[in-house]
Amino acid sequence: MVSSSEVSVTPGQESKSLWAHAWATLLKDKMAIVCFLVVLLYCLVALFSGLGLLASDWSKEVCSSFAAPQEDCWLGADIFGRSVIQKTIKGTEVAMSVGFIAGGISIVLGVFLGAVSGYFGGLIDELIVWFYTTVSSIPNIMLLLAITFIMGKGLLAVYLALGLTSWVGLCRLIRGEVIKHKNREYVQSARAIGCSHFRRLFIHILPNVLHLVIVNFSLQFQYAIKSEVILSYLGLGVQGRPSWGTMIDDAKLELTRGIWWQLLAATLAMFFIVLAFNILGDSLRDALDPKLKGK
Amino acid sequence: MQQPSLPQSTEDRILQVKGLQVKFSTEHGPVTAVQGVDFSVYRGKTIGIVGESGSGKSVSALAIMRLIPNPPGQVTAGEILYHGKDLLKASNQEMKAIRGNKISMIFQEPMTSLNPVFTIGNQIQEVLSLHQREFSKKDKIEKSIEMLKLVGIPSPEKRILDYPHQLSGGMRQRVMIAMALSCRPEILIADEPTTALDVTIQAQILELMKKLQQEFKMGIIMITHDLGVVAETCDQVAVMYCGRIVESSPVREIFANPIHPYTKGLLESIPSYDSTTGQDKNRLPTIEGMVPSLHNLPPGCNFQDRCAYAKDVCFGGQGGPPLVVNELDPRRKVACFYPLPYKEVAKS
Amino acid sequence: MSIYQYIIRRLLYSIPIILGVCLIIFVLFNLVSPDPVLLMLGKHVTASQIADLRRELGLDRPWFLQYWDVVKSSFTFEFGRSWSRKQEIWQMIKQGAPVSLSLTLPGFILSAIISIAISIMVAFFRGTWIDKFAVFISVAMVSISSLAYILFFQWYLAFKLGIFEISGYEHGFFECIPYVILPIIIYIILSVGPDVRFYRTVLLDEIYQDYVRTARAKGLSETYVLFKHVLKNAMIPIITNLVISLPFLILGALLLESFFGIPGLGGITLEAVNTSDFPVLKAMAVLSSMAYIVFSIITDVLYTVFDPRVRLK
Repeated sequence: MVSSSEVSVTPGQESKSLWAHAWATLLKDKMAIVCFLVVLLYCLVALFSGLGLLASDWSKEVCSSFAAPQEDCWLGADIFGRSVIQKTIKGTEVAMSVGFIAGGISIVLGVFLGAVSGYFGGLIDELIVWFYTTVSSIPNIMLLLAITFIMGKGLLAVYLALGLTSWVGLCRLIRGEVIKHKNREYVQSARAIGCSHFRRLFIHILPNVLHLVIVNFSLQFQYAIKSEVILSYLGLGVQGRPSWGTMIDDAKLELTRGIWWQLLAATLAMFFIVLAFNILGDSLRDALDPKLKGK
Repeated sequence: MQQPSLPQSTEDRILQVKGLQVKFSTEHGPVTAVQGVDFSVYRGKTIGIVGESGSGKSVSALAIMRLIPNPPGQVTAGEILYHGKDLLKASNQEMKAIRGNKISMIFQEPMTSLNPVFTIGNQIQEVLSLHQREFSKKDKIEKSIEMLKLVGIPSPEKRILDYPHQLSGGMRQRVMIAMALSCRPEILIADEPTTALDVTIQAQILELMKKLQQEFKMGIIMITHDLGVVAETCDQVAVMYCGRIVESSPVREIFANPIHPYTKGLLESIPSYDSTTGQDKNRLPTIEGMVPSLHNLPPGCNFQDRCAYAKDVCFGGQGGPPLVVNELDPRRKVACFYPLPYKEVAKS
Repeated sequence: MSIYQYIIRRLLYSIPIILGVCLIIFVLFNLVSPDPVLLMLGKHVTASQIADLRRELGLDRPWFLQYWDVVKSSFTFEFGRSWSRKQEIWQMIKQGAPVSLSLTLPGFILSAIISIAISIMVAFFRGTWIDKFAVFISVAMVSISSLAYILFFQWYLAFKLGIFEISGYEHGFFECIPYVILPIIIYIILSVGPDVRFYRTVLLDEIYQDYVRTARAKGLSETYVLFKHVLKNAMIPIITNLVISLPFLILGALLLESFFGIPGLGGITLEAVNTSDFPVLKAMAVLSSMAYIVFSIITDVLYTVFDPRVRLK
């Protein structure tokens, strides 16, 4: 098949590792850099808000109830007269923490179970496959409802529920990759020099599947943020502090009165971070895909 | 080995490629994959195009079929005269009528070149449906069985219902050949047809192709990097390096007496028990250095940094050496400022 | 092996899965959940009232029997009675299922057709601005919460412009139409984004395969190559993806039903959440899990039917 890699032979340059090549590709991708800055911005906002440096007055009544956008509340006010823009900024904390923590739980579970299952095979594999097939047979919504129902309301329940319902896809993926890799020569060589199972799995094989994890994380993050909204609507979400989910939920009563500011603010805030993660995820996948390397 | 062939009469010439130039746009800038390539295809004769990966041999073949993916590739200059008509200027309709019908192509990877979800019979009949509309359904089935028999597939009536994955690599390549020849094309382009096959199967496939060539009086363009295949099948050989033809000769002459240093180097690197050059038998001879990147071609001759005989004018100024007819044997052409001394090949 | 042997094998393999699903449901609702008796009776009750209610609800029986009840129900669909409505749960399901389907089935069919059509067009024009535009729009659409879509469209099209009904439902094949049109439209909008992205990837993966090059070399036109060669291969993952989505149609589009007051299974589930109606929640979980298991077997069988590489081993 004629490809431009057949055409542009570059033997003079040293072959870059996957990571170095990916990094170089990403740096050239302006869209990816912009998206990364957006993610960074949101993280900083969440951090400052959490430290009290931003939006610390979110609970104060600054305007009249349902006030339109004006000087004291740039994006209007909610039913209690609280500034929408302050609530949106404060809500970033919930969003980012849910994204990272739930995403983190999901990644840890998925990678660990997938790696162990793929590497050791046999009974352990059978058990883990049975487990994740069972979990994935129950629709996500049901599991989410069940877990939050049982654990009560609150942020911890949200983290756990979201983390525990989204790890199966990654687990399957990692398991498949580890199975492919464990019979490769570099693992045999590691064994020949006396590496233990633990070393072979975690130090030799896992770095080779890391790129899949990174791309998957962007999907986990988006899933977590969007699901938080749904949980809030169902009354199972965060209590006592603003979140984009509760703001959108409030909007269901506000819209009939013509009050649209909370809906717009929360939707836009979520739109930009999810879009950024989406584009970044795609760019990362293209940069890290070994098949596209050298094209 | 074939007898030394006389210069072909133009009546037997089916295809003539003149000054072909193909460029690709890559992330590092535009690259000229094929530069100034000339060759001809004659009825009943095989021309081999030899070169390493990246030499531009496959691209030249795809250009004839107008199958160069655009983007990123484009034919930027030259003519491809088929029975006097320039294919590069032909309409899409005309090209579709030619592909698979008058000029066919088979590819390197028989494993993936056939559609996995259609039966073999279906895929052969598809070519017939396209180009031989007057055939009835029954005729097409019969013809596909006949083609499979022709390429040596046993129990063809049963095989037409098989799917590609049920056949071995050698069988699949035979099916590809059957498909390519079902409309009796005048030219068959074979792009590394045996590279992916076992050596013994390789021999069978090449035998088959030679037999069919005699029967159909086809011209074959054989693209390969394997000089053994060239020796087996070709009448004329064109050696390519970095997108240009560096030597073009009848097959016997090129093996007995290569005049371009690159060709000489290629022949010497064929491992043999008895080294023909009388050199030290401990080390396998190779061509020093590496193929230059097409983004970074040196001024002057492309081969200069690997050539043992490179001298002043090779290094720059006037561009690369042109492909010129050798004075002593008009059948041979070489692109070199200082071609190797020509020795008369004993006529045996 | 033949298709029948394969189906039997898959069915047998499903048994440990069903047992596992029932185990998870049992653990969640019978073991670790907050005591439903206390939830229902409140704080100021006597011990004998608690014991009575426990006996009545069957919660004093040994765990093994309670687990066995769950397993039995997955085959017999005898789920008992709803705690809040006192109705037989199976009756509720029989009433609610067609309602849910009146929304999800047309939504599913229409969005499948639209998504496939758009993806084919995008694959044909790959690399051009049409492709890039379509990808960008899909990505953008996916970045907005489904709740936001529902709120916006309900407010704008139904409330403000009054084109559609705001909420409510009427049973009956034709009578329900005015109530489900807007939810169906929103359903399609929600599905098209992710579907087009997926189908486009599948189609493009096939377009760059070697057999497509061979097809062109035979003289086939681009359109023919796309519709005959590429599509047939691409349909394998596309159809399996569609089939595996079917079980979710029954549970109903939870959010849509809730917002538009449609009394389908989704609405029943949410109501059960609000009233801590355990039997209903368990029933929904069992029902949807069984549907998923059955459909994944169907999907695997379909795969062997469509893909000759898998079929004839």
